[in-house]
Amino acid sequence: MLDGILTGLGTAVMPMNLLMVFVGCFVGTFIGMLPGLGPISAIALMIPITYGLEPSSGIILMAGVYYGAIFGGSTSSILINAPGCSSTVVTAFDGYPLAQKGQAGKALALAAYASFTGGTISAIFLLVAAPALASVSLSFQSADYFALMVLGLTAVAAFSGKGQVLKALLMTVLGLMISTVGTDRSTGVERFTFGNIDLMDGISFLLLAMATFALAEVVMAVLKRDHLKDEENQTDSSQIGSMAVTKEEVKEVAPTALRSSVLGFIVGVLPGAGATIAAFLAYGMERNLAKAKEKLKFGSGSLRGLVAPEAANNASSSGSFVPLLTLGIPGSGTTAIMLGALIAYGIQPGPRMMIDNPDVFWSVIVSMYIGNIVLLILNLPLIPYISKLLMIPRTVLVPMILFFAITGVYLVSFNTFDIVMMVAFCMAAIGLRMLNFPMAPLLLGFVLGGLMENNLRRALMISDGSLSFLWERPITLVIVCITVLVLVAPVVQMLLQKKRDKAALNADTNSGTEKTA
Amino acid sequence: MSNHQTPSKPVTSVSTSSLSLNKDLIGGLIFLALSIGYGLSAQLIPYFPGDEYEPFTARTLPYVLSVLGTVLSFSLVINALREQQKNKQQASDELAVPTLTPALGYDWSTVIKLLAIMVVYAMGLKWMGFVIATTFFLFAGFWVLGERRKKILFGASLPFVLVFWFALTQLLDIYLAPGQLFALIGFGG
Repeated sequence: MLDGILTGLGTAVMPMNLLMVFVGCFVGTFIGMLPGLGPISAIALMIPITYGLEPSSGIILMAGVYYGAIFGGSTSSILINAPGCSSTVVTAFDGYPLAQKGQAGKALALAAYASFTGGTISAIFLLVAAPALASVSLSFQSADYFALMVLGLTAVAAFSGKGQVLKALLMTVLGLMISTVGTDRSTGVERFTFGNIDLMDGISFLLLAMATFALAEVVMAVLKRDHLKDEENQTDSSQIGSMAVTKEEVKEVAPTALRSSVLGFIVGVLPGAGATIAAFLAYGMERNLAKAKEKLKFGSGSLRGLVAPEAANNASSSGSFVPLLTLGIPGSGTTAIMLGALIAYGIQPGPRMMIDNPDVFWSVIVSMYIGNIVLLILNLPLIPYISKLLMIPRTVLVPMILFFAITGVYLVSFNTFDIVMMVAFCMAAIGLRMLNFPMAPLLLGFVLGGLMENNLRRALMISDGSLSFLWERPITLVIVCITVLVLVAPVVQMLLQKKRDKAALNADTNSGTEKTA
Repeated sequence: MSNHQTPSKPVTSVSTSSLSLNKDLIGGLIFLALSIGYGLSAQLIPYFPGDEYEPFTARTLPYVLSVLGTVLSFSLVINALREQQKNKQQASDELAVPTLTPALGYDWSTVIKLLAIMVVYAMGLKWMGFVIATTFFLFAGFWVLGERRKKILFGASLPFVLVFWFALTQLLDIYLAPGQLFALIGFGG
């Protein structure tokens, strides 16, 4: 492992890669600050640039953008109460009230320190967990991989929130459907191309990511007229006050940061859970642990309420790299984008990545930590200046982002049909967003579609067409059982809730009739 | 029946609720149609001789997905109908059902214009080349979003495009076709 760390360190500290970390964190912070644009959009916008780089530099850049975007999201949550991404929604609960009290600088500094703690602890965990899990997963066969992918996809749906499970599953299926468009790799047969030559190569992952995230998010902001309302908010963002944090405050929040980091990492490792759930859970845990007097502060400027989600969402970001790097299965929309980029480089993430591409594997892990340091020592002091970039009128910024998204796709394929297809996907994405369908499962389904089909094909061929491969090996059986549990849990929960509601309703009516009697 | 009803507010609101489709129902129906259409199109995927004896063909996954999509969307439709029924009974709670009515307050005209500009840009790229098409795209984008300051309209479009074009073609060595219109006239490529 030490050899690996040294290899990673050697690659990560190369001037080019260090530059990528800096650029990634800076650009990510800026994009993440723009309300509505989250890490997925930020990474999608960066992908065309990474195609011209070495795989390790490209992935390092994307990891930097990921961290930067989450940090940027926190900044806009604190300064203007407009979370850049869903994982920083909780940060606004206590961050914005602090900013209103004139303590924006302190809130930003605490958010950065908490993120740093989360990043540090999770980087250490990642350093230990990733190689261990990778060595275990070396024994995995195609049946296990297929089962794991099904687990990953169902888990994303199961964690998607109340009333959203069916919709998330449908979006996953839609993603899988889109992945079948084009020439079937193993038989060479065209599927769903309807004779269109432009569809023979299938739909590009970059196109889908750009259209459903970067493009759709910007267009949704226009649709909701967000580009008209935010200019007055931004005038305050350059006056953030002192960033000094007292010893007492550090003492108060240190245990919170530690607890939330551990929780965040664990949640991040789970497929589908992601940074948003980690942030909400950490906030809830901290509120439950707080004394009655302190509990009242939550929601009106509690330092613990600010630190908990920040540490958790950062730790969760690192945690989500564990299944990606070791199993090749992304646990979130962001890591799905990274998986797509890695595949485009010809690198197959999974247990063999550590053996075949140790430089990429280890440099990503090491550069994550460097990214955390960069965010703390470079981005934090630069926040007043970066936030000034938000003063660029949205009437200018929106067409520019649209241009970068379109050009990013066009410069890869040089095919104008792709732009038309992007517009079509963007329109569909807007419609689906308006109908409250989550987008991340679509991307996850699309990215995993090809891999899943290959593994299913192989498993079925080996078992001569029998589905017994799902229960023949203990590992596969365990994964299948977990998948079933994950799928059944929301249904059971719903039924129990209904039963409870009914019981409560009966109790109410009974007490009502007793009173009238 | 209607003679017995007083023309009070709740009655009208219940009737509108029953008419308006809720989001889940619309989504479910769209996915149902899509899944069935996808399944039917899957039948067009050609078979190789002997494929019928193979455990896995190019049609296998599409068929599985079609069935899955149909079952899931059907469940969503049933769920949505049940919810609607429940809300009909609880007229006071009807606002809790997400309907499409808020969509009417959105800025659809700007969005449609922006999307149209993107499609025109795609066609323009082919005919007018990168520099002219992109300049027009940015200019039109700023204009549609309400920007009227000449300094920004002109200053943020052409100079930006020229710098970007220079970076792509001269620094990154990426070839950008000059546009078919220019090729027809006799300039460039």
